[in-house]
Amino acid sequence: MNTKNYFSGEHLASHFAAIKPQLPGADIGWLEVLREDSMKRFLEIGIPGPRVEEWKYTNLGLLKNKSFNVSENQIDIDAALIDTLTIPDLTGSKVVFIDGYLSIKYTNIDKNEGIILSSLNDFVKNNPDRSKALFNNQQSVGGLSNLNLALMTGGYVLLIDENIKLAEPIQIIHFATQAENANALRTQNFIEIKQGGSAQIIENFVSLNQNFKWRQNNTHITVAKNASLEIYQFQNESAEMLHMAETYIDVEDEADFKHFSLNIGGMLSRTELKPTLIGKHANIELRGAFLGRDGASHDVFTHMKHMVPEGTSNQVYRGVLDKGGKSAFQGRVYVAKDAQLTNAEQSNKNLILDRSAEANSKPELLIYADDVKCAHGATVGELDQGALFYLKSRGLDHKAAKALLVEAFVSEVFDDIKIEPVRQKYLTLARDWLEHGE
Amino acid sequence: MLEIKNLHVEVDGKKILKGLNLKINAGEVHAIMGPNGAGKSTLSYAICGKEGYKITEGSIIFKGKNILELEANERAGEGIFLGFQYPVEIPGVSNMNFLKAAINSIRKYRGEKEMAAVDFLKLIRAKAAELEMDPEMLKRAVNVGFSGGEKKRNEMVQMAMIDPVFSVLDETDSGLDIDALRIVADGINRMRNPEKAILVITHYQRLLDYVVPDFVHVLSNGKIVKSGDKELAHQLEKDGYAGLGIDENAA
Repeated sequence: MNTKNYFSGEHLASHFAAIKPQLPGADIGWLEVLREDSMKRFLEIGIPGPRVEEWKYTNLGLLKNKSFNVSENQIDIDAALIDTLTIPDLTGSKVVFIDGYLSIKYTNIDKNEGIILSSLNDFVKNNPDRSKALFNNQQSVGGLSNLNLALMTGGYVLLIDENIKLAEPIQIIHFATQAENANALRTQNFIEIKQGGSAQIIENFVSLNQNFKWRQNNTHITVAKNASLEIYQFQNESAEMLHMAETYIDVEDEADFKHFSLNIGGMLSRTELKPTLIGKHANIELRGAFLGRDGASHDVFTHMKHMVPEGTSNQVYRGVLDKGGKSAFQGRVYVAKDAQLTNAEQSNKNLILDRSAEANSKPELLIYADDVKCAHGATVGELDQGALFYLKSRGLDHKAAKALLVEAFVSEVFDDIKIEPVRQKYLTLARDWLEHGE
Repeated sequence: MLEIKNLHVEVDGKKILKGLNLKINAGEVHAIMGPNGAGKSTLSYAICGKEGYKITEGSIIFKGKNILELEANERAGEGIFLGFQYPVEIPGVSNMNFLKAAINSIRKYRGEKEMAAVDFLKLIRAKAAELEMDPEMLKRAVNVGFSGGEKKRNEMVQMAMIDPVFSVLDETDSGLDIDALRIVADGINRMRNPEKAILVITHYQRLLDYVVPDFVHVLSNGKIVKSGDKELAHQLEKDGYAGLGIDENAA
């Protein structure tokens, strides 16, 4: 490994040695081996620096000398707070994590034939063989994923059997408290939708921390033949949060995977989505918006891998950057030599509301097949002055006119969402963010 | 109602209007004609308060108030409406939401309560029907994918909804076929009323067959060079600007 591009994560190794005994499943031999191997792999590489292409817009230098404790015991929070974080009109299962641990008090799982929804720690205890298989099936992943594997404190497992269709979306809340002794939150999730099954998941990341915290939430997904999965993510964490979410998705024949995200909070957010189309006629849609100001930086990295023929993928990302906001969208599309008749589209548009804001957009197309349709578009622009005057001439003041235009720009991403309260939540969060501007 | 005195306007450092005078009373319809580059659109933008149109001299008094100090939205609140020559497309904002925001912004400016949703719906359906607009178009994004005629018709629906005291219609007739022209002219005529006034800016006499003006002015090189009644428009149609001794290409 080219060490000059990375910096050492040694301090995390000593931290790992110290807290290893208190990590969940410390008494399970194979898990201990997995954690140790993962730590070793992490140390071989270290933390990526800005000279690593995938990280060129995101400086992790701030991780160099920090120590990261995991919470030792769970902190209780106010039930009313949980209520504000859930979408009230939806009656499906609810899974609540507080500082990286599943909260039994607030988690409420419906029992249904053919559906397993469980905390990762319980699943590992009760289903060692299946758990081992889940971990073994993981793709060969990068340095920071290995760190997450070594230090994870929990997560969830969702298994949907053949032809089982989940009626109501599952709501997952990742909440971080103000607790100062917990400044690393590492969760690891597994989702398997078997042939013909379907599910919808709403994931809400919220925090109250006033000291630095680092969240890493990694998810491994398989969507089998004819199955479908939709994930709706909201990230509205405090300005002290370093938020990282990595998702790996294998999509089989005729299967559908849709992912929506909105990043508003955090000092730095990094959303990585790595879908692989491994079956014919698979369809993938990734849509998201990121809104940044006051030193917040949002980084979206997608790596779409078309491995087989006749797959479709569509990516739509919109960024709005106000005073002091920064963003990067890197969209890599790989089309293998055999993946003929692939149809891959990608669009990233960014709106700059202030001269001090920065938006980076980098489409990267690696196409080895010769009969494909691949389109990409990237723009960075300012508000349309003509449209602004048009609205003002009809009576809207400057602020209202600007808000209407920005909202329209963002809402395009969420227009097609069928679950109305989810679509409304996206629009409300975006509107609140806009109203807090100057 | 509106009195423009000695108006000088610069755009990007270029002098466009050079001492324009115009007085419009309630109940009157005025038409301004003139060759390309005479300053017709500049006049409409100066009245409505577009940024970048620098007033270097003169005044515009509307209902006794100096409106040059007001923002565009405040002028709309005072009752001024601009029908655009090129209506702007606004992706992602439905016509319906756009009009609701417009009407309630103007009401807020006037210290009035928001219009009840049900009254708004009734009103917009009625106005769309009067102007023969397909109700489906109200749900579509403002002007996106509209034909030239549909855009102009949409301007008329907006005017009817907002119900301004004074309307400036900037080349509303350009690019319209005869049916669309008739509908737009009907829309304008509906606004005629002893308490209201209209300023029609046009390149051609055609619209004035349908909207008969009380006064016609010829704008050339930044000034009004001739005023008269509707006969002046006919004379222009017959003899052209050259017949009045105006160089059509003088900007």
